[in-house]
Amino acid sequence: MRAPAPKYAPNDGVIEAAQAALGDAIVESKDAVGEVSLTVVRDRLVEVMLALRDTPGLEYQQLSEIAGADYPSRAERFDVVYQLLSFTRNHRIRVRVTTDEEKPVPSVTGIWPVAGWLEREVYDMYGVLFDGNTDLRRILTDYGFVGHPLRKDFPQTGYVELRYSEEAKRVVYEPVNLAQDFRNFDFMSPWEGAAYVLPGDEKAAPGPGPADTPQAKPAAPTPPPSDAPKVPEAKGAPTPLSADEIAKADSPSVKPTEPQAKRSKTKDGPQDTGAGDSDPGNQPDQKPKDSDVIPTKGEGQNQ
Amino acid sequence: MTDTVDEMIARDGKDLNDPTTGDVAIANYTINFGPQHPAAHGVLRLVTELDGEIIERIDPHIGLLHRGTEKLIEYKTYTQALPYFDRFDYCSPMAMEHSYVLAVEKLLDLEVPLRAQYLRVFFAELTRIKNHMLNLGSHVMDVGAMTPNLWLFELREDCMNFYERASGARMHANYFRVGGVRQDVPLKLLTDIADWLDTRLPRLFEDAISLVAENRIFKQRNVDIAVVSRDDAVKWGFSGPMIRAAGIPWDIRRSQPYDVYDRMEFDVPVGTRGDCYDRFMVRVEEVRQSARIMKQCLNEMPEGPVLTLDRKVAPPSRGEMKQSMEALIHHFKLFTEGYHVPAGEVYVATESPKGEFGVYLVSDGTNKPYRCKVRPTAFSHLQAMDFMTKGHMLADITAVLGAMDIVFGECDR
Amino acid sequence: MGVELSPTQNPLAAGTLPNVAFLDDINAEIGDKGFLVTSTEELFQWARTGSLWWMTFGLACCAVEMIHVNMPRYDMERFGAAPRASPRQSDVMIVAGTLCNKMAPALRRVYDQMSEPKYVISMGSCANGGGYYHYSYSVVRGCDRIVPVDIYVPGCPPTAEALLYGVMQLQRKIRRIGTLER
Repeated sequence: MRAPAPKYAPNDGVIEAAQAALGDAIVESKDAVGEVSLTVVRDRLVEVMLALRDTPGLEYQQLSEIAGADYPSRAERFDVVYQLLSFTRNHRIRVRVTTDEEKPVPSVTGIWPVAGWLEREVYDMYGVLFDGNTDLRRILTDYGFVGHPLRKDFPQTGYVELRYSEEAKRVVYEPVNLAQDFRNFDFMSPWEGAAYVLPGDEKAAPGPGPADTPQAKPAAPTPPPSDAPKVPEAKGAPTPLSADEIAKADSPSVKPTEPQAKRSKTKDGPQDTGAGDSDPGNQPDQKPKDSDVIPTKGEGQNQ
Repeated sequence: MTDTVDEMIARDGKDLNDPTTGDVAIANYTINFGPQHPAAHGVLRLVTELDGEIIERIDPHIGLLHRGTEKLIEYKTYTQALPYFDRFDYCSPMAMEHSYVLAVEKLLDLEVPLRAQYLRVFFAELTRIKNHMLNLGSHVMDVGAMTPNLWLFELREDCMNFYERASGARMHANYFRVGGVRQDVPLKLLTDIADWLDTRLPRLFEDAISLVAENRIFKQRNVDIAVVSRDDAVKWGFSGPMIRAAGIPWDIRRSQPYDVYDRMEFDVPVGTRGDCYDRFMVRVEEVRQSARIMKQCLNEMPEGPVLTLDRKVAPPSRGEMKQSMEALIHHFKLFTEGYHVPAGEVYVATESPKGEFGVYLVSDGTNKPYRCKVRPTAFSHLQAMDFMTKGHMLADITAVLGAMDIVFGECDR
Repeated sequence: MGVELSPTQNPLAAGTLPNVAFLDDINAEIGDKGFLVTSTEELFQWARTGSLWWMTFGLACCAVEMIHVNMPRYDMERFGAAPRASPRQSDVMIVAGTLCNKMAPALRRVYDQMSEPKYVISMGSCANGGGYYHYSYSVVRGCDRIVPVDIYVPGCPPTAEALLYGVMQLQRKIRRIGTLER
């Protein structure tokens, strides 16, 4: 490991020792990025934790942390991740169980009282139920909060916001109404698996041919018939075609039979070039009323 | 005197040990402490059940500063998420950044230049001093002393000035970067801090502490208050000065060294009784040890780059950008898309001034964290409030809270 | 705060000196009659600016800077602004830090408990408009949604100097407008 992260005792033999102590309670065990993590059977969690704490050679005395995580595509969408720490062996281990909205996870408050609040937090943030936690109230969110905010399907800005109402003389909840929506730029490179389609590529992807792309001017002649060989416009231009469909632009056999579009050199009057027109969108009636506030289109991420 | 009391007993015909007056029975009552209280160190609400002045039960209500940071981080790139860490524990900003950058570096398996590691340790220890100045000062103020707080805050102002000279901000430095630190510090800053460590810090600090450390009133308010045994400290997830005061010599800087802590010589102070006074004195000694570490850093710090030269993670310098097209492209890509972190998960915990501050980071291979869970120090400490204060007086709450060193930015997140 | 203590030699800066004719007038009036005449309104305003006791409403990071401005280096008490822990005794509330949904009713209650005339300083970008946490599900996007605000101090967090300047701006505002209409 080259990174200067905290260095604790090596992981050698930890998985074997855990397997010997826990047997078939372990679903999966792996040693990745220098950390050991075990996935265990949910219903046997308490037994597993007791074994991890009390077996000589494992001795994980402290529960440092319980984290939830949400993977909505899975059948059991939630992970509950326990980080254990051994003072005597100077080692950390991660124990994971999976669950969904209904199946409760056995509580480990009987082993470590610190789990009480940590489980309350996972319940608050994800809605995971803990069987045996006697005090499973919300902990971080507002009194009377609805929903579980860290689930992936919960919007970042929530559903309600607060303001003081002069009429009611108290603080009231209202549906969220943002002056400006959260701007979530997707900077993933198109060639590295961005989920969106680039503007202009919508028609091109399964479309009849490259001539349909917006590069084709309205003044251009009719596109070649669809049975014409598919040709890139020029060398190096981006193309939606797959490699075997691409014919080299230089190869003489596939040269387009029709000549490229030609514009009449005599017709470049103002009606053609647009010279003399004022800038589009710059008319007084086309401008927004209040230039500081761009009205939302009513389909922000909160709707 | 004794005669008078005896006479009164004889007259009333009652036992002085019986607190009830005639047929009036005293029932328990509940008071609400906070959410706005100067001794709550922020926005804490304690629902306290009292029997007279004796605490029966405490139910801390937290979340009054729950800002949803973990959700926001999922919508930000790794670089954009870094400043949120300053704002977790706003008394010790750079220590929070430390855990995060180490976690991302661990996922990236990124090598960090040696000078950067020294600078990070150096400023992490400056942060520890800064944090303890606030905590020690407010602790003594909570139990009734005013003067030490004024002196310690003067030192804290110095720390903030050093922060400003290194990073440009007095508090939220945003100075650590994945792969090093933002920029090198001027030599004059290092020499100034060296002077400060030799002269001003010991003079003011030892003066202020000498006012309270042996003070009778201060001891009466703190010794044997909220005693925590070793077993309890482990079970309740204590860390940092809280677990060391309970007598367990556990310091992540020593046991699981990160950056260049393995090259540093320092002592780990340990308490003997596990009470509030021990917690206070452990922190006092930590300040001295931090100064020692900082001096070693100053002596040993090598020359060299302070940020990794891997241009897929760290941006090039401005000068380079104006010369080289490739550097410009790297800069553009890093500040729009950011860098991609390989899929995986890590849990990295460092010794923040308050204890074990951990970051559980799950990456799915994109430029944004899939999940970033923060392990706050105050969460487990505050949870233990109930059993620590049981049987103590109402006025001890402030002493216990002060010795816990709680900051709600990280507790509520 | 680089304040020049020695008298300035720059004739252009003479405009910042007190109005000599005005002072001479007052001196003459006192010498002549032995007292001054002013309206009670103006007198009250002048008195108000001199003792702005503020309610410590520290919420988050800005609270640390709010403490710093009271500590020896900046010492806001020079301007008559002393921290009070009770809303009943205070004139101005400094909302320092992120105001979260769970805390908002408490903020309003404290504000309602303050006695008139009362002023609010919103400190830091979170209190001004949500700031870094604007799009969070649990943050009030600006404390002016809950209480009326007189002075906004920008910054994340504003330095102690900036807050001090904000308090001085509030003093100017009180002197200029008098009792603020609500």
